[in-house]
Amino acid sequence: MREITLSQAVNEAIAEEMRRDPTVFLLGEDVAEAGTPFKVLSGLVEEFGTERIIDTPISEPGFTGIAVGAAMTGSRPIVDLMFGDFIFLIMDQLCNQAAKTHYMSGGKLSVPMVLRTNLGATRRSAAQHSQSLHALVAHIPGLKIAMPSSAYEAKGLMKTAIRDNNPVVIFEDKLMYQDKAPVPEEEYLIPFGVANIKREGRDITLIATSSMVQVAEKAAEILAAEGIEAEVIDPRTIVPLDEATLLESVKRTSRAIVIDEGHQSYGITAEIASRLNEKAFYHLDAPVLRMGAMDVPIPFSPVLEDLTVPTPQTVAANARKLCAGEMIHAA
Amino acid sequence: MPHDVTMPQLGMAQDAGKIVSWLKAAGDAVEKGDALFEVETDKATMEVEAQADGFLTDVCAAEGDDVLVGAVIARISDSAEDSMTTPAPTATKDNDDDLPQGVSVTMPQLGMAQDTGLLVSWQKALGDAVAADDVLFEVETDKSTMEVPAGKDGYLAATLVEAGQEVPVGDPVAIISKDKPEAPVSRSIASASVSKAPATPPVESAVGPAVEAAVEPTVKSPPAQAQPKLGPPPTHGRTLASPKARRLALEQGLDLDALAASGHPQPFHVADLAAAKALPTGAPAAMVAQTMRLTAEIAEDGLPDFAAWAARSHGLDDATALLAGLGGASLGSDNETTVVIQRAGQALTYTVPTGRGLSKVTASDNIVTDLILRDLRGTPIRSADLGVQGAPVLTIMTAGAGLDIALECTHTQLNAQAAITLLSNFAGRMEQPLRHLL
Repeated sequence: MREITLSQAVNEAIAEEMRRDPTVFLLGEDVAEAGTPFKVLSGLVEEFGTERIIDTPISEPGFTGIAVGAAMTGSRPIVDLMFGDFIFLIMDQLCNQAAKTHYMSGGKLSVPMVLRTNLGATRRSAAQHSQSLHALVAHIPGLKIAMPSSAYEAKGLMKTAIRDNNPVVIFEDKLMYQDKAPVPEEEYLIPFGVANIKREGRDITLIATSSMVQVAEKAAEILAAEGIEAEVIDPRTIVPLDEATLLESVKRTSRAIVIDEGHQSYGITAEIASRLNEKAFYHLDAPVLRMGAMDVPIPFSPVLEDLTVPTPQTVAANARKLCAGEMIHAA
Repeated sequence: MPHDVTMPQLGMAQDAGKIVSWLKAAGDAVEKGDALFEVETDKATMEVEAQADGFLTDVCAAEGDDVLVGAVIARISDSAEDSMTTPAPTATKDNDDDLPQGVSVTMPQLGMAQDTGLLVSWQKALGDAVAADDVLFEVETDKSTMEVPAGKDGYLAATLVEAGQEVPVGDPVAIISKDKPEAPVSRSIASASVSKAPATPPVESAVGPAVEAAVEPTVKSPPAQAQPKLGPPPTHGRTLASPKARRLALEQGLDLDALAASGHPQPFHVADLAAAKALPTGAPAAMVAQTMRLTAEIAEDGLPDFAAWAARSHGLDDATALLAGLGGASLGSDNETTVVIQRAGQALTYTVPTGRGLSKVTASDNIVTDLILRDLRGTPIRSADLGVQGAPVLTIMTAGAGLDIALECTHTQLNAQAAITLLSNFAGRMEQPLRHLL
């Protein structure tokens, strides 16, 4: 199968959906001529023109509000938010308007909008351009949250998102745009709420999102050399969450670590760990561990920044402890 | 007990307030909550309320005066005559004799609803010369940490509170003397009323090594308290085990408390259950009392004919699986069950699905067993009382043309009614296996 980058996969998904459905359009900062700072959208404006690939002024609340209105009145807008950190600027448009309109209009209005943005540290972008803020919006009922872990997921999830009649937020890891993966030429969609078991194992379940899936897979390789077989599961969408697959796995392995790049406290890892505790308690042979980003502003210093996020080594070290039955001490 | 009236801090950056007007006069009876005076700060004019019942005495600030925050401007006494010339050297009644002469500095009110302040640190050493604007100590309230000025020129002659102590608003925390003190005094809140010991010995020069000696212990004491400890946590008399280990132990009749008593390191995980199994089963009297043994007798062993028919008509040629299927079904469980057949020194494990499908009985490697079938047919053994195991045991023995079937189990495995039902179901199926299909 051909291999393309995550960036190309997103580009293809948007182009295919724009060809298929004339109501799909995209707007955001530097999306047309520049094709975004990450060059994800290069070439789209040439094919679809500036009426459908719209460069906006630097006003996130403005263009997100426009998209919410357009979605309510029959279009399928894709909002391009240059950095996930800017989501703070559009909280009302996204969380108070887009997420609640279907409910508050008694089902008369829908907001079939996609917000594509990014997450991920270790790009030396400092504290205001390195955050992973998906937990903030995952907390709001009415929004679906997709977190592709490779080019294959990025394309399939984006196409599903564009066709979904609800607001969907897609967080791409900005460090993965150049990562290649096999992606079929023929059309495919990845349904929401279906986790992907990336690797099977019997000793411990590593549940990981976005780029942390790679981290978990590398940790699993380290562990395999030591005789510990780790299962790696990518939920692919955290809202809706494929709880059944996670529970089934953890009941088999009796142990789990949840790995996500958002800050650890009050985050995605806490939510998933809590569900496992509630629903698989009597199958657990060790406490479910959370591994998120350290609870600090992401440092600019490369040395410090690299310490704030989970790595294959830290994941493997924790997995080793759990499998050895070591007591996990309270801090 | 008299209560000092101090200038409150009404704004975050306020260090003095102007008394606009007195709303009570000296000698007036006041009740807690009564407005005493009006204060003007750079932001607003506010009324200040009395914090105690009594009589207003010792008013020492006039209308129009600018008064430093925390300064004592009056006193609420038990009687209108209860007056002193100056309210300044206040508080500590019993051991005033030990304290240097001077003006007392009190804990200021830094927030509207604040009752106490935590004295975080002293910014001056005992005996130091201080100016009115010098920061004397730091106070932490529920909102913020703030620096408090001395409010008076002089020398720090006494500290009445140690760093780290919580002090009621208005209570004295230090004494500032006009002259250089001969013997500065350092106390804590606890020691103030009890001991007079910490007073430093008189020294030729109050500022010097001796002063440091007096201050040092007060600074060092707070961090000494909280030390995190590692190592296994105390079990508080409980046996620590993972939820899964506990569940499996219950299902398999393993005693985790006995494992703990044997000294096996906690917490227990599934891997430790092997050690629990290996423990000598020194069947205590209580265990014996909890066991059950029931026997049944049937006139004919129907299984051989049934097995032959099943093999001929349905291709089910594993008679042992059929036996496991009849046993598992007799449990009447809503879930699939695991049945072990023990025969001639061998043990075969099967998974029996719910329902009646004998063709769906499959070999299994489950370790959690629901039922053990000890097949002694074809042996000369006619009676068996071998004791309970980790799961209920059905022993099948030849008795003439028929069978004797014994059930042994504990009350935790099956209650009496469940045991009777299991044995009746199984005996019925063995006599007339076709019943199973009805």
